[in-house]
Amino acid sequence: MTAVSRIDLTDASTFPTRRVEAWKYSDLKRWLREAPPASPQAEVSSPGAFDALGGEAILFANGRAVGVTDFIASGEQTLRLRYVSDAVGTGHTASARVSARAGARLLLLETHEGAGSAYVAHNRLELDVAAGAEVTRVVLVEEPEDAISITEADVRVEAGGVFRQTVVTTGAKLQRLETRVKHFAQGAHAQVDGLYLLNGSRHADLTSVVSHLAADGTTSQLIKGVARETARGVFQGKIVVERGADGTDARMAHNALIASERAEIDAKPELIIYADDVQCAHGNTVGTLDESALFYMQQRGIPADEARALLTQAFLIEVIDRIDHEGAREVAREWLTARL
Amino acid sequence: MAAVKETIDAVAALEKYEHGFTSDIETEYAPKGLNADIVRFISEKKGEPEWMLEWRLAAYERWLAMEEPTWAAVKYEPVDYQDLFYYAAPKQKEGPKSLDEVDPEILEVYKKLGIPLKEQEVLAGVQGAPKVAVDAVFDSVSVVTTFKEELAKVGVIFMPISEALREYPDLVRQYLGSVVPVSDNYFAALNSAVFSDGSFVYIPPGVRCPMELSTYFRINASQTGQFERTLIIADKGAYVSYLEGCTAPMRDENQLHAAVVEIVALDDAEVKYSTVQNWYPGDAEGKGGIYNFVTKRADCRGDRSKVSWTQVETGSAVTWKYPSCILKGEESSGEFYSIAITNGHQQADTGTKMIHLGKNSKSRIIAKAVSAGKSDSTYRGLVSVHPKATGVRNFTQCDSLLIGKECGSHTIPYIEARNGSAQLEHEATTTRLSDDQLFYAQQRGLSEEEAVALLVNGFVRDVMQKLPMEFAVEAQKLVAISLEGSVG
Repeated sequence: MTAVSRIDLTDASTFPTRRVEAWKYSDLKRWLREAPPASPQAEVSSPGAFDALGGEAILFANGRAVGVTDFIASGEQTLRLRYVSDAVGTGHTASARVSARAGARLLLLETHEGAGSAYVAHNRLELDVAAGAEVTRVVLVEEPEDAISITEADVRVEAGGVFRQTVVTTGAKLQRLETRVKHFAQGAHAQVDGLYLLNGSRHADLTSVVSHLAADGTTSQLIKGVARETARGVFQGKIVVERGADGTDARMAHNALIASERAEIDAKPELIIYADDVQCAHGNTVGTLDESALFYMQQRGIPADEARALLTQAFLIEVIDRIDHEGAREVAREWLTARL
Repeated sequence: MAAVKETIDAVAALEKYEHGFTSDIETEYAPKGLNADIVRFISEKKGEPEWMLEWRLAAYERWLAMEEPTWAAVKYEPVDYQDLFYYAAPKQKEGPKSLDEVDPEILEVYKKLGIPLKEQEVLAGVQGAPKVAVDAVFDSVSVVTTFKEELAKVGVIFMPISEALREYPDLVRQYLGSVVPVSDNYFAALNSAVFSDGSFVYIPPGVRCPMELSTYFRINASQTGQFERTLIIADKGAYVSYLEGCTAPMRDENQLHAAVVEIVALDDAEVKYSTVQNWYPGDAEGKGGIYNFVTKRADCRGDRSKVSWTQVETGSAVTWKYPSCILKGEESSGEFYSIAITNGHQQADTGTKMIHLGKNSKSRIIAKAVSAGKSDSTYRGLVSVHPKATGVRNFTQCDSLLIGKECGSHTIPYIEARNGSAQLEHEATTTRLSDDQLFYAQQRGLSEEEAVALLVNGFVRDVMQKLPMEFAVEAQKLVAISLEGSVG
């Protein structure tokens, strides 16, 4: 079982090393030997990427809540959850709790906005999806290349509940985005998508554990990533089907491009299955851009760099296309295109 | 769901292991337990050169400092390493000159197992089968090796490793431990200290071994661990196909089997290594059975060298085994074809590692796991591409089939790519036997058991086809027997 990390930024002994199996490819201790000093207060003046979509807001500035930290959705609502970091060499922790009442529809728009340098951010989210509720979580992460950040989300989905997630990140010095989803009661559905686009020496680790504890749950996962220069992309996806979770249908795919000689991709897609009436599959590919497609495009007069960018965009955009909310999808698409 | 009910009932009644007989053979033991003196005893018994004793003692020291690994997805009663015999040999005159001098009781055992020890014999049940040279290892010693002279004519060395240590010490010294170092892991260190026999194969440059070589391991004595060591060297341009089989009597106790297999393939050499592992799996309650903790590794040192592992794992109470390839040579290739079938209370944690170091090296992994009863099966594998290995290709396919509500099946592949030109593909599926297919086959007049055997054999077919013919016959029967009683 994955040891649920209880990382405490004020206690260096809680920082996992790569000897901890779940942190094998993201050695926190290596980059963070000592507990960082606490971050000072910060002012937030910049707008968030999702402001135009309106709704309620939870805002954290260097871990401090500006207003509420908890939110309960009923009916149809939009919540913008902003984790803003503006610090130099210091650390902070933010915790939020969000729940969607039975039958509610919540659009959860999350942004991780980093300014300053070499900060350490630790964000936690607890999310409850009640029976028949639907939550769509879209996360955009942009941080300085020398920042360290760890984001943990614990999601609990009740009977017939639907949880959809799309994480889009450009990485950091060491960045971990971990989502733990539990299908708590019958007939829940989870979509746990993600995308990483990494330049320089950035690192991004998309880790997920989806546990099917009840029957007839479905899980669908599509993760795509590109690692350029000396960047390192990590995907660890685990699907657990516990005894009695019959009728589970779980699919996982991870496709990555290594766009340079020195980039690295590490992947560990796991299936742990204790029930027999299940359909589970995972696919995992690591490769390069199709040379013949590149050649074809150049032949048609498109410069090599542009051709490469177009093919990369075409490769990644599939993840964005799966976002079911149109407004959020368009914001994410623009956000990604601007960073290609 | 009548079929499911029947499955559960049938699993409860499971008791099938046809090689479970014991033979009363006068056996010579070393004193129980493990210490430096036992290591010395074994080395002296084998008449080994001094350097070999030192090598063993160093391994023993390393082992003492190591901890038993716990990361595998298996649970078992801890092994009491001081409550084992580390050396058990059938009493016989020093080095039997011919088959006539071998204890007839032992010959009887092999006859029962269907292993041809007389050179004129061919494998039972296979018409016109090609010749197979056999090295028969009984507990801690090799009792007979066939076709030695015929093989020697083409320069192939095939003999017990204890004999090779005396006759070709330089060759053994050069390669022993060069693929699996003494301190590689806990069980490899233990094996290095106490291994008593096993096979040694050397194929000279450019020689295609004229027949299949095979080693047949039999554990007979109780409270005994078996630690064999196999070393295969294929020199430039050589080819050999090697088969390995193993069985043990049914006993209430758990017996330890910790083997090490090392393969070295030089330029353009090819080694095909096939295993049908049928150690006693324990009874229906999970009592007894072999702990199979094995380290198998091939070093594709030469350019264009190729090693292919094929395994059919049906036996053992607990299996912990990852036949691997280190692909150092340019354009070297590694293959791993595996069928792992678990039933009753068996647990298997098996898979492979493909370490790509050489340019344009290729690997292919096809793993099929079938879990039934209360068993647990895990595929654990690694494909890693090092920064300097350009043009690497890998394809991996892992499929699992679950039969029954109480079994588990897990897939844990690791992919580590550090080179931009690598093309790696991995796919895995887990399903149960399709009701539709079962229904269809039964509608056509097959009994439910036949239908299951048909579907499972279809499921594992990709791997079956990679087995040498002699083994394929046995393996196909094994698949049916292993699953007998698992489904209605």
